[in-house]
Amino acid sequence: MSTIMNVSKVARCAVRCHNLPVLDFLAPAFITVQSKHIPHRAIKRSCMSTSATKKSNVRESASELPLDTLQITQRNTLTEDQKRFLDSALRVNQAGELAAVLIYAAQTPPIVQSHPHLRPLMKHMYDQEAGHLQIFNELLAKHRIRPTAMYPVWKAAATVLGWSTAVMGREAAMACTEAVETEIGTHYNDQVRVLLEWVQMMEERGDPVGEDIAELVKNLRRIRDEELEHLDHAVENHAKQARPYELLTNIIRGGCRTAIWISERV
Amino acid sequence: MSIPARCFRQISKAKPVHPLRCSKSRSGRCLSRSYHTLYSPSPSPYNPTESAILSAALSHVPSHGFSPAALTLGARDAGYIDPSTNVLPRGVFEIVLWHLVSQRLGLGARVQFPEAKEGKGGMGTGHKVRVLVMERLRGNVEAGVVGRWQEALAIMAHPTYVPASLRELAHLADEIWYLAGDTSVDTSWYTKRASLSTIYSATELFMTQDQSTDFKDTERFLDARLEDLRVVGGAVGNLGEWLEFTGHSIINVLRSKGVRI
Repeated sequence: MSTIMNVSKVARCAVRCHNLPVLDFLAPAFITVQSKHIPHRAIKRSCMSTSATKKSNVRESASELPLDTLQITQRNTLTEDQKRFLDSALRVNQAGELAAVLIYAAQTPPIVQSHPHLRPLMKHMYDQEAGHLQIFNELLAKHRIRPTAMYPVWKAAATVLGWSTAVMGREAAMACTEAVETEIGTHYNDQVRVLLEWVQMMEERGDPVGEDIAELVKNLRRIRDEELEHLDHAVENHAKQARPYELLTNIIRGGCRTAIWISERV
Repeated sequence: MSIPARCFRQISKAKPVHPLRCSKSRSGRCLSRSYHTLYSPSPSPYNPTESAILSAALSHVPSHGFSPAALTLGARDAGYIDPSTNVLPRGVFEIVLWHLVSQRLGLGARVQFPEAKEGKGGMGTGHKVRVLVMERLRGNVEAGVVGRWQEALAIMAHPTYVPASLRELAHLADEIWYLAGDTSVDTSWYTKRASLSTIYSATELFMTQDQSTDFKDTERFLDARLEDLRVVGGAVGNLGEWLEFTGHSIINVLRSKGVRI
């Protein structure tokens, strides 16, 4: 088992190092683990998909692991560590989607006022985020996971972030979307990676894969792809032309990472 | 990136948890509930030896109180020699905790709510909470510990045991809200559990003094506290709604005047 881990780690590192400026989180871990099955081109393709028009490729790479071939039954055995991981992972996801919903809600009025043609896009993104939040709310209630104690803080912070970037202009708002979705996409991708490694371990042990885990992987993948779609929309709408782009995105990304770190704990 | 990697390392090291080890860290992880799933239920926090001693000890509580004597008698009943109570390092507090944990875990099986029929809603959440709290309090009566409960409260108030006692109270409040079918996952998750914990402990304390038949006064006391909670909660909710509405109105008026916000 540890050899597989090492191999996958090295392979992942190799992919990352050779494509430094490229957002490699689009290449899911199973590609590196099973790289003999999938042509190398697939990795490259999905790596480049942030350059706007490539979202179909993201979809493609995400649908390459045959989830429906897994043996799905009613029983599953999760260790305490795995349960703890799911506990914090789902809590973070709910907090993140709550923030996303509020960011879009706060951005929409100023953006639509100055650029009315963006109304359908903003509504589309908002609706998708609201759907994600709904999913995680249900999962939290179902699995009896405590929501983050910072709930009111994130609410205020997300509203302020969304509103202030929208007032700064369309480019700044889109840069905010880009920064947030980059972090969130990475975050979801890491979760999918961990869950797929569990699935692999369970299969190696001969344990059946639980229905809820299989469902969760499916949902996480879909949600990740939708977040990356938002990222593409942001780039299409001149996120890169925001001034000061580097400063703005770095601050927002740092803030996102901090928020994720905190929400995992409290 | 660092989070899942670290987590994965933990998982790869994870060994099967031995029941005895599990019971030793009883105040720690094994009782803390995380990612509850019906398909992989958490193991019982007690091993068979401890269960045998503690359940026998609890049956001596009505006559001997929460005392080392009850623990020793319990060990004898279970067929162990007197020093075997040393497997329970926290002594009499273990009997209290055993009672609390077994009552909490048994609560779900004791109360069955009728399914909501079509066109007719079932029991409201508030009503369910009331039923569950009363049922839990009747558990104290059935175990025969009501007369001795002030001793248990004194033990739980011992500084060493306060964290474990509070954790158990929080778990009970969580269990009651879960069984009542509450699905809120926002800030009210915390306020609900905090207020229910307060109400429950107040009612439990009231019950130790209650002389009325069938604990009618306790029931009345509980109803009054729940009503207080409803009134205060409603007022806070209304205030919040009013503030939000007013804030939105002001912003929208400003926007309609052409202010770029």
